[in-house]
Amino acid sequence: MTRPGWAAALAAPYAAWMLIAFAAPLGAVLLMSVQENPEPFAPLSWTPDWINYQEIAGDSFLRRVIGNTILLGAGVTIASAILAYPIALWLTRLPARWRPWGFALILVPLLTNVVVRSLGIILLLSPTGVVSGAIQALGFERPNLLFGWFAVGLALVQVFLPYMVLSLYDVLEAQEKRLTEAAQGLGAGPATTFLKVVLPLSLPGLRAGLVVVFLLSSTAYVSATLVGGRQVWVSAMVVFREGLDNLNFPLASAMATVMLGVAILVTLLIGRGISLAMPWAHGRKRRAPLLPVGLARVLHAAAEAVRPVLSPLLFAIGAALLVFPLLLVVVASVNDTPQATVAAFHGFTWRWYGLIFDNPRYLGDTWVSLQLAFATVLAGLLIALPAAFVLVRGAFPAKEALGAAFLLPLALPGIAVGLGMLRLLQWFTAVPAFLGILAVHVVLVAPFMLVFLRASVAGLDRTLEEAAQGLGATRRQVLGRVILPQLAPGIAVACILGFLISFGEVTVTAFLTTARLQTLPVRIYAEATFSLENTVNAISTLTILLTIALLLVLNRFVRLDRAWKR
Amino acid sequence: MSTTRFTRRAMIGAALATPAIWGTDAVAQIRRGDELTVGVWGGAQERILREFVSGPMEAQYGVRINYVLGGTVERRARAYAERGRPSFDVIYLNIFESRQAVRDGVTQAPTAEVPNFANLYPSARLGGYGVAYNPVTVVYDRRKVAAPMTSWRDFWREDLRGQVIWPSYPGAQGTAGLLMAAKVWGGSENNIDPAFTNIARLRPFAGIQASQDQLFTMFDQQIGAASVEFGSFTRMYAESRNPNIVIANPTEGQAIALNVACITVGTTKQALANEWVNRHLSPECQRAYAERIYYSPTIRNLELPAELAAKLIMGEQAVASLVDFDWDVVIRSQPRWASRFTREIAG
Repeated sequence: MTRPGWAAALAAPYAAWMLIAFAAPLGAVLLMSVQENPEPFAPLSWTPDWINYQEIAGDSFLRRVIGNTILLGAGVTIASAILAYPIALWLTRLPARWRPWGFALILVPLLTNVVVRSLGIILLLSPTGVVSGAIQALGFERPNLLFGWFAVGLALVQVFLPYMVLSLYDVLEAQEKRLTEAAQGLGAGPATTFLKVVLPLSLPGLRAGLVVVFLLSSTAYVSATLVGGRQVWVSAMVVFREGLDNLNFPLASAMATVMLGVAILVTLLIGRGISLAMPWAHGRKRRAPLLPVGLARVLHAAAEAVRPVLSPLLFAIGAALLVFPLLLVVVASVNDTPQATVAAFHGFTWRWYGLIFDNPRYLGDTWVSLQLAFATVLAGLLIALPAAFVLVRGAFPAKEALGAAFLLPLALPGIAVGLGMLRLLQWFTAVPAFLGILAVHVVLVAPFMLVFLRASVAGLDRTLEEAAQGLGATRRQVLGRVILPQLAPGIAVACILGFLISFGEVTVTAFLTTARLQTLPVRIYAEATFSLENTVNAISTLTILLTIALLLVLNRFVRLDRAWKR
Repeated sequence: MSTTRFTRRAMIGAALATPAIWGTDAVAQIRRGDELTVGVWGGAQERILREFVSGPMEAQYGVRINYVLGGTVERRARAYAERGRPSFDVIYLNIFESRQAVRDGVTQAPTAEVPNFANLYPSARLGGYGVAYNPVTVVYDRRKVAAPMTSWRDFWREDLRGQVIWPSYPGAQGTAGLLMAAKVWGGSENNIDPAFTNIARLRPFAGIQASQDQLFTMFDQQIGAASVEFGSFTRMYAESRNPNIVIANPTEGQAIALNVACITVGTTKQALANEWVNRHLSPECQRAYAERIYYSPTIRNLELPAELAAKLIMGEQAVASLVDFDWDVVIRSQPRWASRFTREIAG
């Protein structure tokens, strides 16, 4: 693996796919961003003009939007990390047969329509809602939480928390349990064990989670539109407004390119920060302690003192945030009212389920979405797994840069990918419909899978491979009997997430839907632009049930844990 | 300068349209097995169209109708990207986008080739074939106002301070709100300043709404007292969920909004597209619109029960009372106004 030839061969499929299916829309966006004439039918100019970038740099409103978006992304990422640890640890301690249910619980927000989820946030934060009531009960003034940054942040934490939990799950699950026992045997309390053993060893997973959640939350715009009440402006909303409402592609593209630049920078910074925090991984010496020993001791004592309250509290908040939409969706799916986002219960009905099964188009679109998601995950896994090995085990100078380049599709807002594809529509429609959408979905999904797989590969126990080789195993045997079984939970997690992302994708797919190929989310989105009907909640409920079934089946064939470690 | 630009656009549009005229013979007939691709909204609209337009057409001619469902902005962006070589034969747009699309050579101007064109009201004959009036008006919660709202000026009443939910711009509701505010404060689409100055005076808002679903959730939660919204959907909401909501009929009139069927320039299925639009304008289909989703008919030859008609815009006089604007100016100003809106009103 240290030989460059091998590294190139393993990274090639991923790189090739990105070059074919992502470089084109990215190139279109970059080229559009340096066009001077904003008219929709202006001829393309090959001489770059920087006027759009100058406009962004000179506009205090746009600068503020970009700054606020970065802060929002950072806040959401940190909050997700804090809430995710207790949940991920809980998941690793869950008995194996209950684990599919635990996973399903965590995935609920990803399986729920964004409009419905937003309603949940509105209900939580409304002046008559639970949170306001609790704050008032504590003797404070009733706060105005709805339609602002707090509401948007909470909505984003809710939907991105699952990504953080799952990226931590695999590394925490792979951790040597005897280490924590040893720490406790040496007198460390639970909080100290967490801070000195569990947390440092989980940094590769944390890195994956931080990158994914930051990139997702800094490019998201639907939640900001729905619960921000237009008091909140994020960069992707500007891209949407300029690109679609105003048909000013050059300014929209320039804005997207700026976001891309910021995202790359932050990705590199996170990588660098985590790398500095784990010197042992690079054979470097342990750095000097940050705090004087006395102070550290006091802090550890303080951590031990607050842990019995803080840990369950964080777990409860995180779990409630994840489960709340489930309650909302299941109740709404049998609520006898035509609109999907109704707080009050108007009576019981099975009507919405009936409507789905009466309507062959829902089933047809679901079938399309399922096929697409399976094909996407398969292709994504085949290209991302070898690439993950290259990024972990390869030894070449530009490794970090290659890692960042491989994540580019995550950093470019989906809406910008859509705009780029619009420019290429003539060529796109020449490709068979399924293949075309598959190519784009893999671009959107494979980087996620890569992030997760990279953390899993980094957690592999190399000594086991060496032992197997020492005992005469061939390369293929090592791969099949040592590496893949160790990676199974990580692969399963990456596939589940990839599946759900593809199955739910609408931002880019909405531009690419043709008469022959329509996915379920695009149908739901098209209906939502008119009026979101309650069938959407019935569909969500069924999707959640389907996911639980899939997880139970998966659990029979692939272990979601590493039982042999205990 | 902008005149030159539009002339150039019009010429390009005309040039692109020419092959469609040459090819009239080849596309003038409906053949079995032909396929028509229609870009339209989902939900109740799709269901009505399947029942009254595509179902009967498929049965009668042995053709196939493909639906591409989606929102207006994506559909419009795609139609522009595919100008002259459309993958859609018919697309549905809003009033302010449809007229621009005709000038830009993306969609065709309406003609009498569609027989029901003759029955359309004049304001439904621009930028394509208007298939439904869906005017935007003042809506409010009767529990939260001191007196009924009868004018667009009532948003500035003392009892509504901090209670207004303003619609975000751009969008049909936001456009109507902005233009009506200009009108009642002595401005117009050519003099928009009074609108911005006076809407800014309404701050702080109880909220800014970006969609009807959002507004209805706010009404459910009793956040705010009044907003600007489609009368049709608000009436359905009021009747099914919240009887406290009133759909006002302001003295200055309701702001016109129109769903428009647009046949693309370059379609190879002209006759089939004409037939599609014609059926959409049939009394049966227009009646279903009115009965099921309170869309007001755009054709003159439709009689409805008095009780239903009272909830709609019916008849020459009522249609003429809808407040119309110079949509050329509106669409051309949109980027500037949108940018001003985020800076001065919301954000």
